[in-house]
Amino acid sequence: MRLTALRSLATLNEMEKKFPLKKYGKQLWTRDLAKKVRAELTKLLEGADPGDAVIIDADGVEVFDYSFANELFGKTLLSLPNEHLGRFLIVENLSPYTRENLDRALESLSLAMIERKGRKVNLIGKIHQAYLETFILIAKAKEPMIANTVKDLLNMDVTAANERLTKLVGMGLLRRERGISDAGREQYLYSTAQFDQ
Amino acid sequence: MAASLGITKLGSDTLDQLLRRQNPFTNGSDTLDLCEVKFISPGGLVPLAAICHALARRRRSLNIVVTNEAVRGYLMRSGFVAAVKNIASFEPAIPRLASVLSDLRRGSNPLLIELTKLESGSRLPMLLDQIVWVLRHRLKYKKYDAFDIATAVSEICQNTFDHNDQTYGFVAMQAYTQQQGKFIEIAVADHGVGLAETLRRNPKNNHIRNDFDAIHSATRLGTSEHDDPTRGTGLYHLLEIAYRHGGSVQIRSGLATVRYRMDKKQGWRFSAVPIPGVHISFSLQSKS
Repeated sequence: MRLTALRSLATLNEMEKKFPLKKYGKQLWTRDLAKKVRAELTKLLEGADPGDAVIIDADGVEVFDYSFANELFGKTLLSLPNEHLGRFLIVENLSPYTRENLDRALESLSLAMIERKGRKVNLIGKIHQAYLETFILIAKAKEPMIANTVKDLLNMDVTAANERLTKLVGMGLLRRERGISDAGREQYLYSTAQFDQ
Repeated sequence: MAASLGITKLGSDTLDQLLRRQNPFTNGSDTLDLCEVKFISPGGLVPLAAICHALARRRRSLNIVVTNEAVRGYLMRSGFVAAVKNIASFEPAIPRLASVLSDLRRGSNPLLIELTKLESGSRLPMLLDQIVWVLRHRLKYKKYDAFDIATAVSEICQNTFDHNDQTYGFVAMQAYTQQQGKFIEIAVADHGVGLAETLRRNPKNNHIRNDFDAIHSATRLGTSEHDDPTRGTGLYHLLEIAYRHGGSVQIRSGLATVRYRMDKKQGWRFSAVPIPGVHISFSLQSKS
């Protein structure tokens, strides 16, 4: 299958900024503490460019409660589409326990976020299988994709493909940029945080 | 009177029976007779501390009549006497030296987290670390079970100061050993305005008609006094944790008490006598 070649108007910035959570303690309790952590995380996001990823490194953290997770992860994820459009928030090095708690916390807030495990990315939290499938497709792609490509690869109509992509952008899981096809038509390009995969 | 009711064990389930006959908020009496009581658990102890403080706000001082030596000893060891110092009295009086010695032994009982005042979030992380430590190293709980319990305690403790201005709450935990194994009881109580009034501060919760509605709504996702999608999950997660561990939970506010038996994932409603605040207790079997 030949896919439409595209040139992006913007350069995909692949910078990543690490945010180690361990410096706040091994056991992270309460919304009050999360507010302080979030203030520092927000500074990092404000300094990030579109396409950049801010990686919350949970290495060494044994537990956080739901209030902490809601305040830090939940509030930051909710702010992404409006305040930090195009930046990605990613978590890595979760223990089985913290992953389970974060998954439950995000599920209860109807949110999802990107988790990086080694060089692979996945989503945790509440995500419908159809959106997950679309996200994985984009995440595995070497280059940004247009809705028509998604439509062809997932064998669906373009309206459904656009709906899925728009939803994922609204959740802060994909980035949308304007691009120009070889035929000179302006189209939207969809991408997620890129790592060496 | 407690004597006529035959209440020998004062816990979350029997506190209401006691207050039906001797409610200082409705009968005007400042005396609470615990003469028949031979055993008191956190579910009775913690709300009693909140009641003393609620009365103190009304410039009243509760006189607690307690004669059983074991109960008097527990009131000292559990930190209750210290928590109501200068705002309540005991009959017969607690000797000052005995009270001071109990204060000095605070933290030394491996099966007890003494009654602790919760005024703000600043001391809570340390208390939760202590609960994890006690559960893991003294009671030999598995790591993740200890984290689950501390998480549940965290969620309900934060409610006590998040939703109440100029009031505060209390928490205590006691471990018990029975033939069937170990179990723990944790209680948290405040003397604020209660769930219904707190939740109705958010116009989205105007549908809440009574205290039962308030408890039911508060245990569902997203019901909060704050118009914030990341709020209103604490009691939901408490019930989820209790369910995973097969525990039981009691939530009391205003005129309503709901008891959840998590082996059936079901709540039973009981009418309650009117006292200020929200009182929550839960007990969990140890899996260790």
